[in-house]
Amino acid sequence: MDKVFSDKKAIFLFVFPAFLVFFMIIIVPIFFSAYYSTLDWNGIGEPTFIGIKNYIDLFVNNTDGFTMAIKNSFLVAFFSVFVQVPLALILAIVISKGIKGEGFFRTVYFIPVIISTTVIGQLWMKVYQPKYGMLNKLLDILNLDFLQRNWLATPETALGSAFFVIIWQYIGYHMLLLYSGIKAIPTTIYEAAEVDGASNFQKAMRITIPLIAPMIKVCVTFALIGSLKTFDLIYVLTKGGPIHSTEVPTTLMFSSIFLQNKYGYGSSMAIFIIVECLIFTVFIQKFFKAENITY
Amino acid sequence: MKKISSKLLAFAVSGILALSSVGCGGTPKAPEEPAAKAAEASSDNAAKEEAPAATPTEEKVKLNVWHLWTTDADANAKSFMKVLEQYKAEHPNVEIEIDATENEAYKTKIKTAMAANEGPDVFFSWGAGFAQPFVDAGQILPIEEYLTPEQKANLLPSQTANLTYNDKLYGLPFVSWVGILYCNKEMFEQNNIKVPDTYEELLAAVEGFNAKGIVPFSVGAKDGWPLMFFQNVLALRTAGAEGSNAALEKKVPFKQPEFVQSAQMLTDLVKAKAFDEASLAFTYDEAKVAFLNGEVPMFYIGSWFAGEVQDDKISLVKDKVVAKNFPSLAGTKGNKDEFLGGAIDCFMVNNNTKHKEAAAEFAAYVSEHMAKESFLLGAGLPAWKVDTTGETIDPLVQQMVDLANGSTGFVLAWDTKLSGEAAEKHKTLVQEVFAGTKTAEQFADEMDALK
Amino acid sequence: MENVKNLDEPSISKIKIKHAPRNTKHGMNNIKTYGERVILLLIAVVQVYPLIWLIMFSLKSNQEIFGKDPLALPQNLLWGNYARALFDGNIGRYFINSIIVTVASVIITSLLAAMASYAIARMKWKLSGTMLIVFLLGLMIPMHSTLLPLFIFLKKTQFYNTYAALILPYIGFSLPMAIFVLVGFFGTLPRELEESACLDGANIYQIFARIMLPLIKPAIATISIFTYLSCWNELMFATTFVSKQEYKTLTVGIMGMVGQYATRWGELGAGLVIATLPTVLIYISMSKQVQKSFTTGALKG
Repeated sequence: MDKVFSDKKAIFLFVFPAFLVFFMIIIVPIFFSAYYSTLDWNGIGEPTFIGIKNYIDLFVNNTDGFTMAIKNSFLVAFFSVFVQVPLALILAIVISKGIKGEGFFRTVYFIPVIISTTVIGQLWMKVYQPKYGMLNKLLDILNLDFLQRNWLATPETALGSAFFVIIWQYIGYHMLLLYSGIKAIPTTIYEAAEVDGASNFQKAMRITIPLIAPMIKVCVTFALIGSLKTFDLIYVLTKGGPIHSTEVPTTLMFSSIFLQNKYGYGSSMAIFIIVECLIFTVFIQKFFKAENITY
Repeated sequence: MKKISSKLLAFAVSGILALSSVGCGGTPKAPEEPAAKAAEASSDNAAKEEAPAATPTEEKVKLNVWHLWTTDADANAKSFMKVLEQYKAEHPNVEIEIDATENEAYKTKIKTAMAANEGPDVFFSWGAGFAQPFVDAGQILPIEEYLTPEQKANLLPSQTANLTYNDKLYGLPFVSWVGILYCNKEMFEQNNIKVPDTYEELLAAVEGFNAKGIVPFSVGAKDGWPLMFFQNVLALRTAGAEGSNAALEKKVPFKQPEFVQSAQMLTDLVKAKAFDEASLAFTYDEAKVAFLNGEVPMFYIGSWFAGEVQDDKISLVKDKVVAKNFPSLAGTKGNKDEFLGGAIDCFMVNNNTKHKEAAAEFAAYVSEHMAKESFLLGAGLPAWKVDTTGETIDPLVQQMVDLANGSTGFVLAWDTKLSGEAAEKHKTLVQEVFAGTKTAEQFADEMDALK
Repeated sequence: MENVKNLDEPSISKIKIKHAPRNTKHGMNNIKTYGERVILLLIAVVQVYPLIWLIMFSLKSNQEIFGKDPLALPQNLLWGNYARALFDGNIGRYFINSIIVTVASVIITSLLAAMASYAIARMKWKLSGTMLIVFLLGLMIPMHSTLLPLFIFLKKTQFYNTYAALILPYIGFSLPMAIFVLVGFFGTLPRELEESACLDGANIYQIFARIMLPLIKPAIATISIFTYLSCWNELMFATTFVSKQEYKTLTVGIMGMVGQYATRWGELGAGLVIATLPTVLIYISMSKQVQKSFTTGALKG
């Protein structure tokens, strides 16, 4: 049987087509970015080779507040992994246990994911709008006026306000992934547990979560990588402002490459993002491998 | 397995080599470039059996033209379409392939195409800082020698300063803009406040409106540039057009009392509650609607806004608005008749185009004719001599023409005068001054630190 | 109220049967079910609100959108926004292009990803783990940094200004996500089916096509939704890699409603509704497909 499952020719035929496209679209540009990152180049004219100076500017000279941007992206990552994914997991478990309107809830919870970021951004800008916005109005009604803020206009609150939207929008995304994982678990296992008189909570902790560990790993990885390279919503909501307080590595990269004509410098940020994500991903893979469970 | 991975490796290496030969594009000298061009050309025109250009004017020519007018909400879009149809009717031998891309995306797209040395034949561009890298890399055709004598005579020399690099003209403008203080007369009258001519009157107006619970100015500070206009025009008043331009061209430092004062005056305006304190959360679109809805009495922005003010489908203040230059400031180097603004939108021709003459002729034709059409639609002031006898000109536009005709000097918005990095940092600095996180002194220091 | 009760009846009776020995807790369970339901419905309202808001937005004028009460109902329903969004531009053509590009990307991505993940997750070879990490690299690369290299690549390969100029990058960027999900999903499947098929003499291709493909249908449906979303809504590549009217996609057409100095936002909203509607419909039908494959697949029991 091992022979069938380690057939080299079959492995090649299975993997090669995907790899070919992947190589041309992803790998080659990574090499290009790596090369550009060693240049002082405005994207148009003659480049000058400057070695690792761009990286020194990023971290040692910290000219554009890059370390601050990294810190911001770590915060997003933290909230994604420890708030967003757990909430998604709870929702997935609750709606997958066969409640009435399961399909309805699953569909509706996913809606924010299908709506384009531009729309979500516009909507939340209206919610946070200091004068007429829903949030400040609600606080007014609840007699909590002292909590009213210029949410996206002040550096202290802009970051949290923007993060909240990011976390909220993608809960449905993780929920759907976890839900499909849960649904793949044979129902016989649950029936056996029910015979033993296990409560819903016990079933979730002892059966569901261990069995969907591979899917949780997928979600955690997506949440982490997605946060480290989060761009769209920040760009729509705050453009990295006010005064760079919500800047993340990708917004700085975009501005370096396309607004400030610093192609080489921007590419070094891209390379950093890739390396950073890679380190975290390998770490997650290792972490989950340690507690891999099969049945 | 070994065999497979070595095959993959070989493939990988060959892929990288193939691309890296053109990787760092932008140098027209790259050896493979002409061959690739020729290949493209032959495939493009295979069907047409194009003969070598003997008589260039009669030749069948195809031009790729890129611009950014994607919606007729923009007056320039309407005038461009009209002029294009006119051009096509007069030039049956020229086929024009248009690609219109939305403003923000356009900047990314044109820069990427130019970086790959694959720009279109004729394209919309901005002068001064934006096109500087293109010109430096030799990608833009110096256009003056392609103009007819009439065209040279009609193009207003005062409008080409921002499109001239190293004493050569690289782009053709169609309209220029000037910074205008739009005042809602009705709100001023209802509250017994005088429309300001001097800075003292402006401060009095700010105080007067605040006393009535009305926010005096609307500004889309989130987008950066609308807020920047205030500091720029204040500097124009304190340092004058000459002084501002000298500093922007790095001839004199920003660390002078005049520029420090310009930032300080912005801080003082903030303290006097001239702006909504949440302005940093407002985009340009939000800010302008507050003015168009008649909620805010004053709006300082470019002359292009007049068309929207006078469009009663989107404006509740049609015919209620008076156009003013920014108030004068006594005892400074500035002159009350100097304006923020200039001609910056333009058409440029790619130096690599196969049809230099046709492309240049197209650019000149469109620019000259658009000057008139866009002007009549209130999109700006013509950069060419235009004959408007017999045409009706909107009264608000006419006010701006009268103001601009008396102008003694112009300074471009600083973000278009400066290029790339410096432009972005400048906008942030003004936001920081606005938010009170940078002092006026720091502002001047950091302006000098820009590249 | 009557309806709600009726809806809940089955789940209550289910609880009764299941927890027959703990009848004393029945009352509490009942309250808990109601509480849970109320919370779920509240969340549903929050989640569905953006869609409702978008529809209201699309029927408003700039004045209402940016005016005093941006979240209120539209004063007059401006259906003209839809008329202009539909007929002023080339929306029909863009719509078809979006469908062509998206459908091709979804199908090819799903097939390539299923094959590659099967080899990675279920077959035995030394580099499988490395290969997974290599594919994962694709998740990490920020799209903006690939713009210029891809532009050059597409120009040189003559793919620029064709459907392939979008389809190829979309597949490339969707593969990592798809492969990762599928590898995770394969990881949750029991080994026995494959092993018994192998003992019955099936070769590896038959095992993949006949045994595994049907089993991963729910996951394929899931990744199809994600691939669909990322292709359908993609803007940057779609703007940059196509400069011919004939190949432009819907997002590009809709962003075209944003002007240099002036934008009619209501019209833009109408465009966005037109672009979002198929997504909602496709999602609902796909979602049913997912559900169906859960209930009829070999996995159940």
